[in-house]
Amino acid sequence: MEQAIQGVLLDEAALTLEELARACAVEPGWVVHRVRTGILLNEAGGQPEAWRFTSVDLVRARELARIEQDFDASEELAALVVDLTEEVRRLKSRLRLLGH
Amino acid sequence: MEYKDYYAALGVDKTASADEIKKAFRKLVRKYHPDISKEPDADAKTKELNEAYGVLGDPEKRAAYDQLGSAQYQGGQGFRPPPDWGSAFESSADNDNDFFADLFAHVGGRRRNFQMRGDDSHAALQIDLHDAYHGASRTISLRVPELDGQGRVVTRERTLSVNIPKGVTAGQQLRLGGQGQPGSGGAEAGDLYLEIQFRPEARYRVEGRDVYETVPVAPWEAALGGEIEVPTPSGRVTVTVPANSQGGRKLRLKGRGIPGSGTAPAGDLYLLVEVVLPSADTEAARSLYQQMAREMAFNPRAGMGG
Repeated sequence: MEQAIQGVLLDEAALTLEELARACAVEPGWVVHRVRTGILLNEAGGQPEAWRFTSVDLVRARELARIEQDFDASEELAALVVDLTEEVRRLKSRLRLLGH
Repeated sequence: MEYKDYYAALGVDKTASADEIKKAFRKLVRKYHPDISKEPDADAKTKELNEAYGVLGDPEKRAAYDQLGSAQYQGGQGFRPPPDWGSAFESSADNDNDFFADLFAHVGGRRRNFQMRGDDSHAALQIDLHDAYHGASRTISLRVPELDGQGRVVTRERTLSVNIPKGVTAGQQLRLGGQGQPGSGGAEAGDLYLEIQFRPEARYRVEGRDVYETVPVAPWEAALGGEIEVPTPSGRVTVTVPANSQGGRKLRLKGRGIPGSGTAPAGDLYLLVEVVLPSADTEAARSLYQQMAREMAFNPRAGMGG
């Protein structure tokens, strides 16, 4: 058995712009544009070098990229689809809590 | 070893045009979207569709797939394109076809002269709630495509032992540096991202770091109140049930949810009281219920009106 690998838990060490882009297989410019238009990282200001992305941002960014690619969707449409998907998941988890 | 027919997966002919393939994929990917679909195998199906389209949707990969497929068929060799993550390791429906970029790079020598960092990989890792409370070490296995001495594609099983830190929550990503796709031309490997998921357990529900646990109590415990002992993810605790508790009552145990991690504070544990009636299957039990019926003047439907 090899030595156990110590993973890094995102949110303790959030991703930089370059790391997020790489994890989503997109160009950094793709991410910058979606942050500037408010699709990613709600209300982030300042320089892109200072941005940090958490687990939630990573999941969201990958889903946005996927919808855009699969359906040739505009970024706004992809964002709407992902917003609705997140809402459906939130409501489903509430339903589960209520025992349905 | 089995040849995977991507054309069949998308329900198109081998002669289908790029446009037909795209249309077929979009139709099916909507039908099997895991958040919407009622189909039982929606997750697996979505994964399969993404894998198939990842190849057939790209003219270059499609051509290579057609060639490889027929060549291997004639040679009577098994051909196993998908990366097929191991059992402890359920992939999260996408990006898996990164494997193909890699496979075709080797086969065609397309990237041979470039130095290119390996792609990042993504997968889901199912753990028990208990692991989030105490931390754990889990062994996962994944299959890695490789070329053997004869230049055939084989998959090698690779096991990784991963430390799961205490305080993880569902949806969090664990990044394993250098464990993604290998780089080419001596460049470094990509990273592997594991998305933490909790294995569903009937007794627990988790929201963020808060945990909800259903606790069965006897009618007299609920009515008279008192101390009960409850097994919780952090060990057995003694809890006071307030008198006149109804089913559905929530008892909050502060800080006994999933432990804090970094700057995030620990969650709370909510015990959900569930009143369980003993069955009236003995003479003694029936007589006790009869006595209550006579003496308690209790109408549970009094508030319902006429």
